[in-house]
Amino acid sequence: MPSQTAALPPPVRVVLGLGILVGFTALGEMLVRLLHWPFPGSVVGMALLWAALSLRWVRLHWIEPAADGLLGILGLLFVPATVGAVQFLGAGAEWGLWLLVLLAGLLLGAGVAGLLAARLVREEGGPR
Amino acid sequence: MIWLALTLLAFALGVVLQLRFRSPLLNPTLLATVLVGGLLLLTQTPYETYMQATQPVSAFLAPAVVALAVPLYRLRALLARQWRALLLGGVAGTLVGVGVDTGLPRVLGLSLDAQRALSTAPATSPVALQLAHITQAPAALAATLAVLSGLLGALVLPAFLTLLGVRHPLARGIALGAVAHGIGTARAREEGNLTGAASSIGMGLAALLVTLVVAVRS
Repeated sequence: MPSQTAALPPPVRVVLGLGILVGFTALGEMLVRLLHWPFPGSVVGMALLWAALSLRWVRLHWIEPAADGLLGILGLLFVPATVGAVQFLGAGAEWGLWLLVLLAGLLLGAGVAGLLAARLVREEGGPR
Repeated sequence: MIWLALTLLAFALGVVLQLRFRSPLLNPTLLATVLVGGLLLLTQTPYETYMQATQPVSAFLAPAVVALAVPLYRLRALLARQWRALLLGGVAGTLVGVGVDTGLPRVLGLSLDAQRALSTAPATSPVALQLAHITQAPAALAATLAVLSGLLGALVLPAFLTLLGVRHPLARGIALGAVAHGIGTARAREEGNLTGAASSIGMGLAALLVTLVVAVRS
């Protein structure tokens, strides 16, 4: 009965999706605490949700409106954290070194990924 | 409440400007960070006060990380068809990126805080932020360096990949996503749907992989 959720008013579909996403977050956090795993609960929740979607325990259309909404403003959600960088302005010139490290990691990482993937791509007449 | 309002408005302003000037580098997160950070400094407001005030926004961060499973699941057909290129390419790229971001700061003798914060930069900022509790990095620094890594990647990687002769959209996409996550993926989407899809996969895999590396090292 996939049309059951489609019949819900859009705000309620978001509420339903949020409930499921927060539920998986809680589940991930619970597992991490119980098993003393050195993982963030949210990343465990993400893996669990991926598994649940693949096993069709959770249907995509239950969570789609909430997930797309959250991911659409993902950049907003960590602004409160990045604003904390004002505490590190005192590092001054060290920022230059940090950017240098990031640049080196980007060039080497992306270079390896790009060259390796280009070799391993299966030609298939271009999936669209 | 005023800080919450300012944060929301600064981000919205950033999105308006980005749409207007069509550049992934005019990033709403960066703009909001600079504007709000500047105001905090001007008004001499302690960061703790600000953090408390914006808790309603931060509360959605963990469920948003969980939601990253959705694009990965949607692209499962592409992932199954091209798993060798996407999985092996993405994993190798992220591992090299994490290796450089972990090793180079040590060689350069950077502060312990910086070493820890840099080591998670190839993961998308919300994941880097959550990993900070485990690496004991200053959370704000880990999140900011991840954002800067994405920006820098979006800026330099497309031309660099062309220079290396990497032309296939899947290869370019996975390379961008593996190290430059969200902002790199926004840049990849400008090259085409396939590049954007590969980059989304790269970003999701990188989030899982960086988490695993941190867990193994802790």
